[in-house]
Amino acid sequence: MNIVTRIWGTLISRPPFYVMAIFLLFMLLVPFLTDDLYLIGVLVLANVYAIFASSWDILSGYSGKENFGHTLFIGAGAYGAAYLNLYLGVPPMLNLLLCGLIGAVFGVLIGIPCLPLVGPYLALATMAAASIAERLTMILSKYTGGEEGLYGLDPITDGPVGDYYLSLILVIITTIILMAIGYSKQGLILRSIKEDETASEAAGINTTRYKLVAFAISAFFAGMGGAFYAHYQMYTGPSSLSIIMAVTIIIVCMIGGMGTIVGPVLAAYMLTVSNEFLRSIGDLRLLVYTGLLVVIVLFLPRGVFTVILERLPRFGQKSRGV
Amino acid sequence: MVALEILIYGAVLSGIYALLAVGFALIFGVARVINLTHGAFYMLGAYITYALSVLLNVPLILSIIGGMAIVFLLAICLDRFIIERIRTTMINVLITTLALSLFADQVILQIFGPDNRNIPAVISDRVTLLGVDIAGQRLLSLIISVAVIATLWLIITRTRMGNALLATAQDPEAAQLMGINTGRMFMITMGIAAMMAALAGGIVGSFLTVAPEMGMLPIIKAFSIVILGGLGSIGGSIIAALLIGYLETIVAYLISFNATELVPLVVIFITLIFRPAGIFGKRRGF
Amino acid sequence: MTKDGLEIRAVTKTFEGLTALSDVTFSLEDGKIMGIIGPNGAGKTTLFNVISGFLRADQGQMVYHGKDISSLKPHQVVDLGMARTFQIVRPFKSMSVFENTIVAALSPRSRRSRPKGVKSDETAMNVLGRVALDHKRDEPVSNLPMGDLRRLEIARALATYPQFILLDEPFSGLSLKEMDALAGLIRNLLDEKCTILIIEHKLKILMSLAPRILVLDYGKVLADGTPAEIADNESVIRAYLGRRGHAGVDTTN
Ligand SMILES: Nc1ncnc2c1ncn2[C@@H]1O[C@H](COP(=O)(O)OP(=O)(O)OP(=O)(O)O)[C@@H](O)[C@H]1O
Ligand SMILES: [Mg+2]
Repeated sequence: MNIVTRIWGTLISRPPFYVMAIFLLFMLLVPFLTDDLYLIGVLVLANVYAIFASSWDILSGYSGKENFGHTLFIGAGAYGAAYLNLYLGVPPMLNLLLCGLIGAVFGVLIGIPCLPLVGPYLALATMAAASIAERLTMILSKYTGGEEGLYGLDPITDGPVGDYYLSLILVIITTIILMAIGYSKQGLILRSIKEDETASEAAGINTTRYKLVAFAISAFFAGMGGAFYAHYQMYTGPSSLSIIMAVTIIIVCMIGGMGTIVGPVLAAYMLTVSNEFLRSIGDLRLLVYTGLLVVIVLFLPRGVFTVILERLPRFGQKSRGV
Repeated sequence: MVALEILIYGAVLSGIYALLAVGFALIFGVARVINLTHGAFYMLGAYITYALSVLLNVPLILSIIGGMAIVFLLAICLDRFIIERIRTTMINVLITTLALSLFADQVILQIFGPDNRNIPAVISDRVTLLGVDIAGQRLLSLIISVAVIATLWLIITRTRMGNALLATAQDPEAAQLMGINTGRMFMITMGIAAMMAALAGGIVGSFLTVAPEMGMLPIIKAFSIVILGGLGSIGGSIIAALLIGYLETIVAYLISFNATELVPLVVIFITLIFRPAGIFGKRRGF
Repeated sequence: MTKDGLEIRAVTKTFEGLTALSDVTFSLEDGKIMGIIGPNGAGKTTLFNVISGFLRADQGQMVYHGKDISSLKPHQVVDLGMARTFQIVRPFKSMSVFENTIVAALSPRSRRSRPKGVKSDETAMNVLGRVALDHKRDEPVSNLPMGDLRRLEIARALATYPQFILLDEPFSGLSLKEMDALAGLIRNLLDEKCTILIIEHKLKILMSLAPRILVLDYGKVLADGTPAEIADNESVIRAYLGRRGHAGVDTTN
């Protein structure tokens, strides 16, 4: 009783929470509203992008360490899933967890050397790291399938609706955890690092540790998402490591509003779905995304949903604290 | 023999990289902007030259100049209408320019399709230099790179406009107080740098592949070269361009062609981690 | 050498040929306050940066409570109980006054030092009360005037439960009333046995607070003594009046 009222209280007192809750509840109903399998397939892709974008956001949107090679973690999860499943027969569900951990290991491995870097240096280092991985899949084509990639992974559920629900559940788990971090005091510390790392250190915060943990968490969910995507497609290839994908994720987050989790998630759905409607005129994803991005950075630099969320009311008692 | 080939082919490659990287460094040095559309300017230079010369039968030299002119205008518009307004937020500049360059790739892909194109050479004969057989156009590209960079150097160090550029690079606010229109300086720099990239695109079109995504790797390389050389340092960029150009040539000859793209990436990653300010130290200035 | 207080021995720091600190030596006992003055560019802020771990000294030793602090990271220095403020204020711009303070209240030092059962929110409110900013707790810092931002710097330092505070020109930009209040707060901190190093150009108020003053010039310690000794010291007068006119000295309140 007590805990229920407390959760309810927090939920309705903060627009990001109730907006996310309402949205995800609605998404749970989608298969009852339509039996258009194509649309369901598009929404699975949107779910995957929501995981990629929100996991980018917890590191880059919050702590300001803009990662231009998020695909490295996604690819680590995707190729990890392929190897574990194809060679060791690890079942897909277990792979989600294991590949999240593989992602986290990569997060720490890349995070440690990259921690002191800022701005363009960090951007280039992370971009280079992802490109190195992409190149390696070409060079080591004997083991990675090269441009063709690796085929024949086990499907993760028995059909499109199953895939939809599983991916949606992953989105729900991811957003609950990431929002719990982002909107907690740990999130506040990450934001302080983004604002002014020096001042944050002066306030006694071990910023290095926070950044490293953020790297690991971000990479965990990216790796998990990558593993799901690989099993969903029963295939993985170098495109899961491409710069274009990394850039697309950043664009999604910037359009939605960095450092909010909700913004990137909603933007992932908005953009993926609108992109599919435009598909009839050719693959316009990048054209649309870039056009929108330019409008956003010029006129709404904090993102579409940040602005909307701030205008929504808070219900219940005015929440004190952070 | 192989050594001589490496010497000459490495010089050609380094020259092209330097042409790209010096412009990139110039933009950063003067305007503090990391302009990732630079690779797209290179690609557009190649495609406009191709369209003019092959499709419209304009004489090749005029086509290259046409490509430079159009790219110059594009760059100035980009600076005026977009970069000027977001200059202060590094992430916005990085991601917007990167997205715009992918955008340009897509536009070209829609117009010309994914096939590789070929631009005829200004000099189609092959030449023998120090016993190495080399396409005349490659040699020409080396000569042009050296000449253009030397001219740029002279403009920067000897002319009044060059002085104004240097003053802006050192301290934009002080330059403004001295009566220099820094906004115009940023725009001119952007235009000049873009022209250099377009020129590079126009002259390599006969011996490198012209394809929509051709600007992507060069921009990562130019970015790397400029950071290796110390952000904003033109001299450093030239040395770093030589380093990367030769490194790639050596890898291509001695190890495998496959690894050519990998090696510079690994070098840049390691350099960033151990010497974030670049091999040649300084973080800013020329 | 005692196990108390702070000992700075022969600390030198250069920036690409420019010597910002040269052979600086002094010590300060626990619970005492010492003022630091010197012309602009004398190296005062650099000294703070070196002590608080933001810069590494090229040479020399720094010992606090018997522990060598010369290679510590800034947060580790805070963890030992030394907090600092910045001459150019560094608030977290997108956050409220309260959130700014809470970050420091979440530091390991703060968690460890406050009485059992006290939450970080309470610590934050508490220190905001001490600097008289509690009525502005929910305001975004972007709206605050300079006087408030200075006090926010101090609130953030206090939220880490420091035993030693380094204040870099805390009085600049304050109104007369705010200066009185801040002087009162500094006296309170001394009563609570806090040790204080304070850089200040406003000599009158500094001399009323600090019985001992260190003068830096071109990175060197020019004098170290009571306000009266300092005022009579030939080389101090020359440093201020001779070479650089009145640069950096503000004898108004
Ligand atoms: N990070 C740095 N890199 C290079 N030079 C620096 C750096 N920090 C300080 N300096 C130089 O060291 C000298 C001392 O600077 P410092 O800020 O310590 O002076 P200060 O005594 O605090 O002066 P002010 O009264 O103006 O605050 C100055 O010449 C300054 O330009
Ligand atoms: Mg100072």
